[in-house]
Amino acid sequence: MIEFKDVIKEYPNGFRAVDDLNLTVRDGEICVLIGPSGCGKTTALRMVNRLIDVTRGEILIDGQPNDEFEPEVLRRQIGYAIQQIGLLPHMTIRDNVAIVPRLLDWDEERIRQRVDLLLDMVGIDPSIHGDKYPRQLSGGQQQRVGVARALGADPPIMLMDEPFGAVDPITRAILQEEFLQIQQEVSKTIIFVTHDIDEAIYMGDRIALLRAGRLVQYDTPDDLLAMPRDDFVREFVGADRSLKRLHLISVKDSMMNNVPCCDHDASLEEVAACLQRRQSDSAFVVDASSGVLLGWVERADLAESRSLAEAMHHAPAGSIAVPEDATAREALSVLLSHSFDLTPVIDAEGVLTGGVSIQRLQDLVEAPGIHAAAQPERRR
Amino acid sequence: MLDERRTAIHNSNLIAFLGGSFASFGFFFLPVIEIKPNRLASGLPVSLLEIPGDMRYLLLFLLALTPVLLAFVGDRNRRGWALVAVGNLIVVLTLYLPALAGSAYLSGAEALFEAGTRISNPRILTSAGIATGLAGGAITLFAGLLDLERSGASRLARGLAGAVGALVVIVMLAGGRLDVYSIMVEYHARGEALALRFLEHIVFVLVALAAGLIVGIALGLWASRDARAEDAILYAVGIIQTVPSLALFGILLVPLARLGDAHFLSLARDWLLLAGLALAAALVLRRFHARLPERTRQFSLVTVIFLALIPLALLAVLIIAFGFEVVLTILTMAELALLRSLTGLAIFVFPIFMSAGKRYDLERKLPHYQRLRFLPLLAAALGGLTLLAQGAGELLGTNELAELTIRDFGVSGIGTAPAIIALTLYSLLPLVRNTYAGLKNIDPAIIDSGKGMGFTAAQSFFRIELPLAFPVIMAGVRNAAISLVGIAAVASIIGAGALGDFILLGVNSTSIDQILLGAVPAVLLAVILDAALKVLEGLLTSPGIRQA
Ligand SMILES: Nc1ncnc2c1ncn2[C@@H]1O[C@H](COP(=O)(O)OP(=O)(O)O)[C@@H](O)[C@H]1O
Ligand SMILES: [Mg+2]
Repeated sequence: MIEFKDVIKEYPNGFRAVDDLNLTVRDGEICVLIGPSGCGKTTALRMVNRLIDVTRGEILIDGQPNDEFEPEVLRRQIGYAIQQIGLLPHMTIRDNVAIVPRLLDWDEERIRQRVDLLLDMVGIDPSIHGDKYPRQLSGGQQQRVGVARALGADPPIMLMDEPFGAVDPITRAILQEEFLQIQQEVSKTIIFVTHDIDEAIYMGDRIALLRAGRLVQYDTPDDLLAMPRDDFVREFVGADRSLKRLHLISVKDSMMNNVPCCDHDASLEEVAACLQRRQSDSAFVVDASSGVLLGWVERADLAESRSLAEAMHHAPAGSIAVPEDATAREALSVLLSHSFDLTPVIDAEGVLTGGVSIQRLQDLVEAPGIHAAAQPERRR
Repeated sequence: MLDERRTAIHNSNLIAFLGGSFASFGFFFLPVIEIKPNRLASGLPVSLLEIPGDMRYLLLFLLALTPVLLAFVGDRNRRGWALVAVGNLIVVLTLYLPALAGSAYLSGAEALFEAGTRISNPRILTSAGIATGLAGGAITLFAGLLDLERSGASRLARGLAGAVGALVVIVMLAGGRLDVYSIMVEYHARGEALALRFLEHIVFVLVALAAGLIVGIALGLWASRDARAEDAILYAVGIIQTVPSLALFGILLVPLARLGDAHFLSLARDWLLLAGLALAAALVLRRFHARLPERTRQFSLVTVIFLALIPLALLAVLIIAFGFEVVLTILTMAELALLRSLTGLAIFVFPIFMSAGKRYDLERKLPHYQRLRFLPLLAAALGGLTLLAQGAGELLGTNELAELTIRDFGVSGIGTAPAIIALTLYSLLPLVRNTYAGLKNIDPAIIDSGKGMGFTAAQSFFRIELPLAFPVIMAGVRNAAISLVGIAAVASIIGAGALGDFILLGVNSTSIDQILLGAVPAVLLAVILDAALKVLEGLLTSPGIRQA
């Protein structure tokens, strides 16, 4: 656990870069520091491992003030990754990852195993790249090595200052996803600086939004999007914050389970009764035995047909339905492109499990902050 | 048509053309030797084509012309081999044939000069034609080697081909074939002194370089860290460079003479007092500096540094001057030869051990490699210490402690001490400037990430900054080494010895041979030192930052 207690940083020129910061980062969580350029994110981050001294207040690590440690001792227990990566160009990839373990005097055999494990973990094949030098790797590969190096001695805490800032957007997305997977395994307490709100929403368990050195709002991504505290936050998270929220919610958590539907072998009368009961103009048609979605039927077509098979619209499930593990945003996209009131939701086997309506999505977006639990699966 | 001609010119070897023209031009217009009836009288210049007798002198001239034609041969491989052969031959014959002619002239010297000319110890001087011939031959050889490199000949083949001429010349020298030249006569007369002066020269340069390196890196580091000291330091070392060396020697004369007169014991007492004072000040500052306001802290820091610099500088002067004397003593003490070479060998083995360890992954294969590899270093250190003790004992052993003066340690107004101090000062500019530039140019993110991972300041300097700045610093070291070889020759004026002795003598007695006797080894020393430092740089620079 990392706690900022009334932390103030004034640079020698009198400039107050961090102003009365109070912040608690819980164990195993990623806390994203975000805000406009120059708002004090880097300053706040670097005070944790004492690369910058606090002017007033204190920073506690697991309850212990961080200035009770020798700075070097402290830093060796805290992973540190920065945008410029800062791999040591005169050392091989292996030696770079081994830096902190060597500073901690681990024995060489243990270091060797640890280094190879870490490189594998970040997707760098140690037998191919281990003995190369940094300049022989691409930017994305260097970034991965930077992460591996920060994990070097298995520190409980990691500080990451825009660690994926220097790579192209595609590589960045891959690195973000992979890093979340790694985090699931290692469960570090992480402070992660970025100026990219999408990255913050994707990576953060909690987001701390800073402005001119002050903490404006500290919330889960969903709450930040749902309940921006003031105009600054609202503007910062962007006009598309509703869409961003939908991106955080999975279809499974936003669908209605009870949708109008009938078996493919039902009689026309049964279908009509069903529509009547549900007060609906259409219903989904599923296979009677497996429950697999086959298509849909509309009230208007019933009169001119002799059987359901003739009346129904056949459609391969994939073309009209969204899978359960998609985000609500994808469901919205399907809704908009098919002009349905209700988009069917199917599981991996194609079985109809529910539906998502525009009205439902609207309710979700407008209801403030009840969805902390409704975030996609990847968390914990 | 025009294009074809252009390619032809493009493919031709213009360097060979230059070499051939140079050599043949010299042979045609300039004298190769000069015959002097005695030491003072002016000589009789003889050009290659004037030498009477058989055709071989004409053949050498024609040989010198061939690179001019060979330059336009199209086949690069054949042209390369031909040029290498011709270049080597020109070098060898340029030295050998005039020597043959010279012997003939000497045996009939009486006939050459007007009656009444005093003929005593007539001599053959090498003249400008030999210089142009050698240069032209070397250029041709170089041109050939370039061709061979481009046509893909192996490194070994090229190395051998390039060295043949030089080897033959060495054999000729050893076999006395060139003894007719007066420079060789001088050499035989003064060979022993030459060896000693040469050694002195080397030790001068190396000691000054080592001292300069320590001071230079420290100053470069300081300049790169402290924005306010930056300008002052760089300006100061620049100024030193502009002081004429003679003046610098003069300036050092008085204080060093005074220092030399001091008794060892009283100086030691004063020194301990000073050092103690500086240490106390440093400790006090260390205790309280966190509480001082920024300005006062900086000011006190600078004061303490200067306070500490005085005893440090004194100690450095003493150690260097004494060390120099000791090293020279060691080098000339016959009974130490074995220990000397063993120590040298150990020092030599150490880097081989280190690089072999990296290369063959011995760290894993040999269980105690980590400890083993320091054995040669330990042996070298022990051997070195024994040597130093022997040398120091030889120098000081006969003195009573109470009567020991600083002069006994080799410090006095003239001689070694001022020479080494001046040389050290002169070496500072390239060393400080390059250290500063090398350190300043390191990407701050690299240093920051190192600090963030928990490197201490010292670890950061030795494991990150120094290795990264190393190639730039080494460029400064090479620069300093070469200029030191030159300046060390001037030190002879204040009685410091070294190769300058010959040059000074030669200038005073207008004897070209004496000058050459000092100058040629100095040039060789500079070239060899530069090459050795380059090799060292290559060995010690990480492949990760080596220029591709
Ligand atoms: N050494 C310094 N001296 C004075 N001001 C500084 C110093 N370092 C940073 N600042 C200022 O502090 C503010 C916060 O900087 P920083 O924490 O790096 O911002 P960011 O949020 O972009 O990471 C900026 O306005 C910057 O100009
Ligand atoms: Mg920043």
